[in-house]
Amino acid sequence: MKQTSIGGTKRKVANMLAMAGLIIIFLAYMFPFIMVVINSLKQKRDIIKSPFSWLFTIKGLSFDNFVKAYTQMDFLNAFKNSLIVTVSATVLVTLLAAMLAYYIVRHNNGISKLTFGLMVASMIIPFQAIMIPLVSIYGGTLNLLNHRITLIFLHTGFSMAMSVFMFHGFIKGNVPLALEEAAYIDGCTHSQTFFKIVLPLLKPIISTMVILNSLAFWNDFLLPSLVLTDKKLLTLPLSTYSFYGTYSADYGTIMAGLLLCVIPILVLYVALQKQIIGGVVAGAVK
Amino acid sequence: MRKKVMARLVSVMLTVVLMTTMLTGCRFGFASDPDDPNAEDKKEPIDTSTDTFEYDSSLDGTNITLLNTKAEIQVALEEMGAEYEKKSGVHIEVMPVSDDSPYTKMISLYNSGNPPTIAILDTTDVIALAEEKAVDMTNENWVSQAEGYTTKINGKIYSFPLCIEGRGIIYNKSVIEKALGETFDPASITTLDEFQAFLDRLVEAGIEKPVSMAKEDWSLGAHHLQYIYETYDGTSEGAQKVVEEIKAGKMDLSAYKRMSEFLDIFDVLKEYNVAKGDPLGADYDEMAIDLADGKTAFWFNGNWAWPNLSEAGAKETDEYGFLPYFMNNDKDDFANQMIQGAPSKQVMVDRQVATEKEQAAGRQFLNWIVYSEIGQQMLVKTCNIIPPFQNNPYEPADPLSRDIYKKVHEQKAFSASVIVPNDHWAVLGAAMQKYLAGRSDRGELMESIQDYWNEQE
Amino acid sequence: MRSKNNGKDFCMFALPGMFCFFAVVIIPFIYGVYLTLTDWNGVAAVKNFVGFKNFGGVIKDTGFWTSLLLTFKYVIFVVIIVNVLAFAIAYLLTRGMKGENFFRAGFFTPNLIGGIVLGYIWQFVFSRVFVSIGESTGWKLFEVSWLSDPTNAFIALVVVSVWQLSGYMILIYVAGFMGLSEDVMEAASIDGASGLVKLKSIIMPLMMSSITICLFLTLSRAFMVYDVNLSLTAGAPYGTTEMAAMHVYEKAFTSRQFGVGQSEALILFVIVACISGVQVYLTKRQEVEA
Repeated sequence: MKQTSIGGTKRKVANMLAMAGLIIIFLAYMFPFIMVVINSLKQKRDIIKSPFSWLFTIKGLSFDNFVKAYTQMDFLNAFKNSLIVTVSATVLVTLLAAMLAYYIVRHNNGISKLTFGLMVASMIIPFQAIMIPLVSIYGGTLNLLNHRITLIFLHTGFSMAMSVFMFHGFIKGNVPLALEEAAYIDGCTHSQTFFKIVLPLLKPIISTMVILNSLAFWNDFLLPSLVLTDKKLLTLPLSTYSFYGTYSADYGTIMAGLLLCVIPILVLYVALQKQIIGGVVAGAVK
Repeated sequence: MRKKVMARLVSVMLTVVLMTTMLTGCRFGFASDPDDPNAEDKKEPIDTSTDTFEYDSSLDGTNITLLNTKAEIQVALEEMGAEYEKKSGVHIEVMPVSDDSPYTKMISLYNSGNPPTIAILDTTDVIALAEEKAVDMTNENWVSQAEGYTTKINGKIYSFPLCIEGRGIIYNKSVIEKALGETFDPASITTLDEFQAFLDRLVEAGIEKPVSMAKEDWSLGAHHLQYIYETYDGTSEGAQKVVEEIKAGKMDLSAYKRMSEFLDIFDVLKEYNVAKGDPLGADYDEMAIDLADGKTAFWFNGNWAWPNLSEAGAKETDEYGFLPYFMNNDKDDFANQMIQGAPSKQVMVDRQVATEKEQAAGRQFLNWIVYSEIGQQMLVKTCNIIPPFQNNPYEPADPLSRDIYKKVHEQKAFSASVIVPNDHWAVLGAAMQKYLAGRSDRGELMESIQDYWNEQE
Repeated sequence: MRSKNNGKDFCMFALPGMFCFFAVVIIPFIYGVYLTLTDWNGVAAVKNFVGFKNFGGVIKDTGFWTSLLLTFKYVIFVVIIVNVLAFAIAYLLTRGMKGENFFRAGFFTPNLIGGIVLGYIWQFVFSRVFVSIGESTGWKLFEVSWLSDPTNAFIALVVVSVWQLSGYMILIYVAGFMGLSEDVMEAASIDGASGLVKLKSIIMPLMMSSITICLFLTLSRAFMVYDVNLSLTAGAPYGTTEMAAMHVYEKAFTSRQFGVGQSEALILFVIVACISGVQVYLTKRQEVEA
């Protein structure tokens, strides 16, 4: 914490006020999560009748919901599916988007401009507009649904635009052309230059894109629900379907299931947290 | 061995959660409630010793899929499928609908070239799809057993009625008797005035707001409002006639007797509604708890409410049942004597993509449900369904289904299925919500209904 | 990487990514546009070309225009609140306070949960938790569920969207603030620029590139709000909170007018494209090279 001599006390008071404001807003942000954690340990009746009461005032507190969610979701299998899909799609999109963005930045030709323009525009296509065409092409015509690899491919395609957009901004602002030229003089090929010189420089933005993309893939519901019907292939969000009945929902199990889904991604987020900020800082906004 | 690994993993996960909880700053004790109704999933035993059903051995080894849109019987259907496979050699993969629109799922499945061999759908969905996609089942054996419950499209039957569902005003007998200090005979209430007087007595006896009513659009738009069509004369033909007349602009709703009668009872229910202060904030699960606890005595709903009541603590030995939806003060009006019990959920077999063999395996499964001793038992006991088939000798176990079963067999139920467009419940459900919240009057509601029908082609 | 071997570079660097993008987004989109010109209902085996008939249906569909109007109102509120809030919080989080990283992580957490589940949680909070707080404290604010009144349900939607979107924007604004050079800020302080002047004439112009991105992202996401709309209010009470994207979906699948729904989706796309295009053009003009 740096302190300048100008207006010392005034600054201190302002800081404290700001801190207090932040803490209040922060608690408001956390409120729904606290509710989920508390209620995931209660039984349905208590959830309905006294959602806000603290844990120790309630008699039937237990981990039953977690056990039930765990078994009904077939957790291990769904976890494995989610992991395979998320990891492969994230790796694929990060690599391909970085390369494509690099090409676009370094080759300011017609194709580059057109592709980049289309990508920015495509970020505002409502998913509903391509949902049915998508299944009729990939299912009806090509008969490729119900494979993990199709889902991975579709995830990659859908997140390509946003990823290229972010990489594009970063490369433009933070990768000096001089470095590459030096590499060519040393006799590096283009691909060597990219993988040995450019890619390491992209580390901050890569961690940002890894977390943003893996979050999106991990949590996505609509796309996997269109692609996967085979029960053995269901991902975590899909596997919680059975908690939502026709007429009412099984709140306790839903919340427990939700926590089970979120924890892995939370771990990843905490691990990458510092670099994410760094990644955006370093120039995605340029 | 596997179990051990699983258990260890569970405990690791739990530790993580426990720590998250700790971090949020709460302390708590660890106790498991022995009364938890979810814990003891008791099952009715199925007697598989007798089976006189004749299986077609050429279908052995066929694989078919079944799309289930009735989420509460997902596990039961899987069990049924497994039993059927044991006997017939046909493997059934039961697919759930994982979002809330079966029709969207069907569209996406057909477009993906991978439609289910058998699909359990709502009647409107069947009507939209059947002529183009489904196997004509007019000449199936089971048709004779389901008399009065089949749906015909241009004279042909494309779908199999899976269950009967009934609705009305659910009462909790013991709550009423406790409040009034006398025995309660549901048959003693025969008209709307009597019903209202009875509600007043309950209010005096301390049940301040004795009625629960759901705010959901499917409840208001389909289950309440459709009485105006269904009670025309209590038949499907009559109900369809009303719809045609409204659509053609030949019927003046403000002069239509059933319209104002419907609003009369709706107003009574609204007046005694436990959530009167905030009718659109009513919570479905809370209503079940209120009825089981005795905070209320009545709940407008159907036999599908049983799982919720059971979760709320109701026992199968408790006495719950249905009162009719009293439309007026004429004791002889059938609407005041009978409750509505009609087939819901229709099953169709695909003919567009499924092979001959798959179609035959699907049709055999439907016949198996109707004719085999095992199928009959499982339909009633495992799925907890009220069968629409006359030859099924089994009675459902829960009090709500039992009451409907009894009423169907004593001719105290009428079956009028009206076929309305798919968005009827959503659009008019919204209009009904407005009326329930007191934001529109009778005239505006009728106008919305007329407008809705005018827009249909 | 230039001049010779251009074709090889293109195949190696650009082609794989472009292939994914075109195959998954552009081709289905074009096919979707074609479908708006047919009478296909989603299931039928035949498609007949009907020209612009579906667009006629869009004009007649008053519900679509109502939902569009509501969406505009919603977008204005969400965009302004999200950006002001995120800008302010990001400013506070880059002043070197203790626990900055903790806060930054915390504010991002709403993004860890998918949209549909998130709506269900908030629905639970609004209809159960708040009402139960209202019951025990007697606060008028929480006496009845917010979701049962049209105005309050709309506010609830805005609140949840702000909650969900601002975390992401905070991240981008934090990045922007950290990119401002210390010298500029110090110089401004020494010159005696007061808070507001400093904000207006020094910080804002330098932050313009972050603002461009954040406005673009909030605009497009707010216009296409669907998940939260569906799971939080589902249009309730009585259809007053149905936004454009949800209406499109309902039109295509619940009302079974696939062609009309598809056309409405296309119109929505064009509107959003125009508005965000204008926005990017306008804010880009304000940017200064840092």
